[in-house]
Amino acid sequence: MSQISVSERAAGAGEVPVSRAPVFARLRKRITPQSIAVLVFLGMCALFFCIPLYVVVVTSFKTMDQIREGAIFALPQVWSLEAWDHAWNRACSGIRCDGLKVGFWNSVAILFPSLILSIALSMVTGYALALWNVRWAGTFLFVLFICAFVPFQIIMYPLIVMTTTLKVYGTLWGVALIHAILAMPVLTLIFRNYYKDIPTEIMSAAIMDSGSFWRIFFEIIVPMSGNILIVILILQITSIWNDYLIGVTFGGLAGQPMTVNLANLITISTGTTNYAHNMAAALLTAIPPLVVYFLVGKLFVQGVTAGAIKG
Amino acid sequence: MAPRWSRIAPQLALTPALAVTAVAFVGSIGWTVYLSFTRSRRLPDYEIDWSEWGRQYDRLFRDAGWEISLRNLVVLGLGSALAIVFGFILAAMIDKEKRGESFFRTVFLYPLAVSLIVTGAAWRWIFNPTLGAQSFLRGLGWQGGVDGGARGGQVAFTCLAQPDTAMYAIILASVWQSAGFYMALMLAGLKGINSEIWSAARLDGVPLWRVYVEIIIPMMKFTFITCAILLSLGVIKAYDVVVAMTNGGPGQSTWVPAYFTINALSAKSNLGYASTAAVMMLAITFVVFIPLVALTAWQQRKREAAR
Repeated sequence: MSQISVSERAAGAGEVPVSRAPVFARLRKRITPQSIAVLVFLGMCALFFCIPLYVVVVTSFKTMDQIREGAIFALPQVWSLEAWDHAWNRACSGIRCDGLKVGFWNSVAILFPSLILSIALSMVTGYALALWNVRWAGTFLFVLFICAFVPFQIIMYPLIVMTTTLKVYGTLWGVALIHAILAMPVLTLIFRNYYKDIPTEIMSAAIMDSGSFWRIFFEIIVPMSGNILIVILILQITSIWNDYLIGVTFGGLAGQPMTVNLANLITISTGTTNYAHNMAAALLTAIPPLVVYFLVGKLFVQGVTAGAIKG
Repeated sequence: MAPRWSRIAPQLALTPALAVTAVAFVGSIGWTVYLSFTRSRRLPDYEIDWSEWGRQYDRLFRDAGWEISLRNLVVLGLGSALAIVFGFILAAMIDKEKRGESFFRTVFLYPLAVSLIVTGAAWRWIFNPTLGAQSFLRGLGWQGGVDGGARGGQVAFTCLAQPDTAMYAIILASVWQSAGFYMALMLAGLKGINSEIWSAARLDGVPLWRVYVEIIIPMMKFTFITCAILLSLGVIKAYDVVVAMTNGGPGQSTWVPAYFTINALSAKSNLGYASTAAVMMLAITFVVFIPLVALTAWQQRKREAAR
């Protein structure tokens, strides 16, 4: 029973149930001038938020000839897929001109190992810290809390040296490993905050059944972590995919994720810049996280707020 | 009752995390701090000349690029604070006007799902001096700022190309990117407010704006402080958006500490100097961070008192 209540509570985390006086429910049915004004304002803000997306989308379908006319907000005269094809297959990143597909598959290859590694590590750590009476758990949590906020630059050089020693510097595995390491403090704190609400009765009953650390983990903890796992998965997928700094520092030439390819494309311009190509490349990079966002938007909000506040 | 190994298992399970924390975080920070006292250039040099251990710091504080970086940090922080204000206004409106809540929330939050490199690419294109929004406005018959936006105080879309205004374009992009996030935090805060306050204020005939200014905002001070701290921490880390929009230029005009540090390490290959800048970044982080710790402790105590 209490298992259910824990997961329910977690499902609503970050969202306090709305309990408003019924007076307002009645008022809301009529459209007042005030609410029209508010809606108009919100609509205009929404338009402003959509402008960049709109511009990127229409530009990516234009031909360079039309772009030179300078009407950035105009719809394409001819809907051309040339820019998309070019961005995917032939766009240059540095000296290699194999398109963003290289970066795309690199990003995918980085994503999965770092997801598994970071979630497994922080889930076990969070569980051990929350439910087993480790004497120094409090101190360790505080250190993790600090680590979660440390700027990346302060540990950058030592990490480069370490990954070089481990012979993973400049490879996809190196990037994935660094992602897992850097995400560990935040994720551990999130998992720990989730598990600490598990009633002690469940834990003592489980231990009485001579459940070992790992048996309790796999038979009780993992099955009830569904909600938090989804939230963390979304948080991690978007942040790993969107990362630039780790990719550019540890990817070398062979392990560059998609964002690094895109940054090379838009910042280093040899000859004339083809903006249609750039915008198609930007969209290609943005599509995977946007798909995740539009599919599970509500969980995404929980993920980012959890990632930011950590309980 | 429990077998002996059940005590050992959790400790064993914590070993990887402990090792990562000790090596990758604590050890690495110590390493960088140590390097910041050395004369390391391209390769690490582990000798400290104690007579002038602070020479890298002396040099840093006299460096014009670092000064620009710090100034830009403050400008970016103050400018990005608009995102909190904007986020609160949006949240208050969405909260009051329930219609379309999920639609507006979706629209305002989507920039957060996108990489800052993509955000930078998009805004960089909009701010393109010849083919971007500037040319569109000129096409509409608007003549301002054709040759340099800063001249005569005209608001122009060429500001990315001007050293003294490029920072504003970066601020606009970051506000666009993060306003939805603060809106979501504020919305959660607003929903936690007791509904009776609204009816009481209505009965007393208090105007709506006064309810917000005098009751709601003070009640939400915890949310506001949280937002401010998160924003500051985010601003200190700001790097991607600068790379994507200006790559530090024109000149050094959009350098921020994060950019300065990485530039010192990768472009200038000056390890000691980069470490010094990184230590200063850490120091700035701690200045922001200490209130957060105090705040968390305070909130904890409040929660326990309420229990």
